[in-house]
Amino acid sequence: MKIQEVIRAINQMLADGVIDRYAIGGAVGATFYLEPVATIDVDVFVTFKSAPGSLLVSPQPIFDYLKARGGAVQGEYIVLAEWPVQFLPTTSSLVEEALDQALTLDAGGVPAQVFSAEHLAAIALETGRSKDKARLLQFLESGVLNTQKFGELVTRHGLSDAWQRFGRQFLSDAP
Amino acid sequence: MTFDIQRILESKREFRRGLAALPIAEKLRLLDALRERQLTLGSGNSVRLNEGSRPDPTPFASTRP
Repeated sequence: MKIQEVIRAINQMLADGVIDRYAIGGAVGATFYLEPVATIDVDVFVTFKSAPGSLLVSPQPIFDYLKARGGAVQGEYIVLAEWPVQFLPTTSSLVEEALDQALTLDAGGVPAQVFSAEHLAAIALETGRSKDKARLLQFLESGVLNTQKFGELVTRHGLSDAWQRFGRQFLSDAP
Repeated sequence: MTFDIQRILESKREFRRGLAALPIAEKLRLLDALRERQLTLGSGNSVRLNEGSRPDPTPFASTRP
């Protein structure tokens, strides 16, 4: 399975110290909890190692490491086992927490670091594109969410207004 | 077979629940297959990852001091 090869490569990169930690998000992450949804890429959130004395962090060491092991750079992606993989920094306190609290799940015999279902749902609410709203609805309908934990995330990360808007738009019978 | 929309919707929900309940290895295999199908359908118009290749990735601004 190709996507397992991607996860193995990232695990090896972690073991070799190129990244401090990682977690799979996006559609691939959601597939650990929901039905599979077609996606063209794999989103991997990482903490980058920054050069001493620099405020800028670069994914270049990741690209260099993976290129040396057969990966091919295509724009912002690096292609591993035919999957374009995008390495992303944490861009909000919610994503930072999601990375801190990522779960180790079994990807068919390969351990994978994956965001929790509640964090994936809250990130979908925070990001707010159409496909994110569709994913959030999937999570809500699936029954896999710990609703108390999800509610705490929404409150703690300042998403209460977004949640109320989402509720009015998608969870209310009123027109 | 029925044209009862409620039964059709419930059938779709049931199908989705069945897919979600598959072992993760099977779901990941489906992801591989879905991606290949999507690339086949989208070839020539929407999926162009090869365009804009450049040698160096853009640095990100650190969120930490």
